[in-house]
Amino acid sequence: MQPNDLTVGQRAPDFEGRVEGQTTVLAFFPDDWDPARPAQLAAYREALRSLPGGAHLLGVTQDDAWMQLDTAEEGPVRFPLVQDSRLAQAFGVEGKQAVVVVDPEGIVRWAHVGPVGGSPNLEELTASVRRAQSPGLSRRSLLVTAAAAGLALAFLPGKAHAEALGFGGAGVGGAAPKGERTITLNVNGKAMKVAVDPRTTVLDALRERMGLTGTKKGCDHGQCGACTVHINGRRANSCLVLAMQAEGDKITTIEGLAHGDDLHPVQTAFIKHDGFQCGYCTPGQIMSAVACIKEGHTKDDDEIREWMSGNICRCGAYPGILAAVKEAATQ
Amino acid sequence: MNPFEYKRAGSVGEAIREGQPVGAKFLGGGTNLIDLMKYDVEEHDKLVDVTRLPLAKTTESEGGLMVGALVKNSDLAQDPRVLGRYGVVSKAILQGASPQLRNLATTGGNLLQRTRCYYFYDTALPCNKREPGSGCGAVGGFNRIHAILGQSDQCIATHPSDMAVAMRVLDAVVMVEGPKGKRSIPIADFHRLPGDTPQIDTNLQHGELITGVMLPSAAAHTKGTYVKVRDRQSYAFALVSVAAIVDATGKFRLALGGVAHKPWRAEKAEAYLAGKPMTKENFRAAAEAELADAKGYEHNAFKIELAKRTIVRALTEVS
Repeated sequence: MQPNDLTVGQRAPDFEGRVEGQTTVLAFFPDDWDPARPAQLAAYREALRSLPGGAHLLGVTQDDAWMQLDTAEEGPVRFPLVQDSRLAQAFGVEGKQAVVVVDPEGIVRWAHVGPVGGSPNLEELTASVRRAQSPGLSRRSLLVTAAAAGLALAFLPGKAHAEALGFGGAGVGGAAPKGERTITLNVNGKAMKVAVDPRTTVLDALRERMGLTGTKKGCDHGQCGACTVHINGRRANSCLVLAMQAEGDKITTIEGLAHGDDLHPVQTAFIKHDGFQCGYCTPGQIMSAVACIKEGHTKDDDEIREWMSGNICRCGAYPGILAAVKEAATQ
Repeated sequence: MNPFEYKRAGSVGEAIREGQPVGAKFLGGGTNLIDLMKYDVEEHDKLVDVTRLPLAKTTESEGGLMVGALVKNSDLAQDPRVLGRYGVVSKAILQGASPQLRNLATTGGNLLQRTRCYYFYDTALPCNKREPGSGCGAVGGFNRIHAILGQSDQCIATHPSDMAVAMRVLDAVVMVEGPKGKRSIPIADFHRLPGDTPQIDTNLQHGELITGVMLPSAAAHTKGTYVKVRDRQSYAFALVSVAAIVDATGKFRLALGGVAHKPWRAEKAEAYLAGKPMTKENFRAAAEAELADAKGYEHNAFKIELAKRTIVRALTEVS
């Protein structure tokens, strides 16, 4: 398809992730643009707050697989990503920052396209929203269009962006974090880019920045084991490791244990033996158990208890956990 | 946590250079430092990550086994040379923390752990160690886990490490490197008693990096034990612990944990035992001698008798 396919009022190219009958907002991220910068995430949150329930927000990356963004402060708002450089080509926005609204019938209803780092003129933006609010658009489309304008604000860099959101020039949430930068973390076999402050722990990077919420935050001080992941094949408390420290390490989380729908034997054993009640400590218990078995610390019940003692279960599901580890150790 | 700069050091020289400014701090496994920074007990402007330095090997050297500062606790505990000749170190480490913490914690960092005194951790309460001159919440407060030996009016905190107690019984030597070059500090002189400066835990100077710990040949042993008494069977700090070995000359050596601001070498007990038959009565008398000057507080006086009994048990195990 040719670039001129992106015309408001025309049928949009077909794409992966489109839900028939739903309005979709596509945000195109060029390679060298970081959608996970906290200031921009704040703008997405603003935009998402005004999205109607049925609208569908989709990120499109053009080269590297970006992490799935979790822009929710409250509630399960997700920002799924598709990696498809052909899609950018099809929409004619290759290498550019763009926001496109496609209505339930598959018609392009609004578009903003700009160069990387460029900032759309606020007045033009407002005008485009007005134009989009023309008769013939459904109420849903209208709302989404307005939301898309908010989303496009995310493209405003730095000060202009903060001012547009009414935060003044000081930036979102006070002083800009010192030394924030984008790092690459190897998680479950995938290299993922993520923007972090030096204070960000591996746990927070996984949960808050990469959408990998399987790893749990219990005490956040290395006392409960809920955050246990494997770093270079060894179990570790992810709440006590800085994300920047882990650059270059191989991280495995609970999401990386199963092969597709085939659960890891330890996961299966936990289900079979009721190794949990509320389930909150379970990902940490399972990661620890996998390591415990690999280390060979499963000689008898006492040895398993001792080598699983770094994982606290407030529900007291210890008998089930012990039984699960024992059984999985024989497989 | 206060905002800080993160710097990953690529060489020992670079680490030391980066670690010089006031406000810079070396970051190892982070299991204590990150914890303390999250509570705002410690604030640093810059963390110099030393975990990638080539200090993670244990090598035979003249005089003993040289343990690199970045050897993980879990690796040290299962090193065959440690298991064979310095068993007390392995036993102590494996009774501390949890497997996942031991996978992060380093040899050097373990020595530099700070006290787990509740008042030190609670920034709303006075603590002379955290804020010199503010007072001690523990002396008249909940002091169940506190010191019975070597304490001062200023501070009754204990050193939390198990590994350090084992290293104290071995007379290990801490190797350090700083802007003025290298030096070695016998572990006896490494940790300090609180006195009037409880804010200073060790004699390591700012900007000095621990590069390794030497376990001396003279302390190699086949009989060694670490008896740790705690409120739960696993994953808890010691109320009282005792490291005991019979060294190469046949001498009984003892060190205590959980009772003082530093790993406490039981020199009085050792002196009492010299040349005497190894009987329960002599063990008890040695323990009495060691604890003669002990002082308990409202909630920890039980530790005095507990320490005596733990000494007897440890000596019985190695005799």
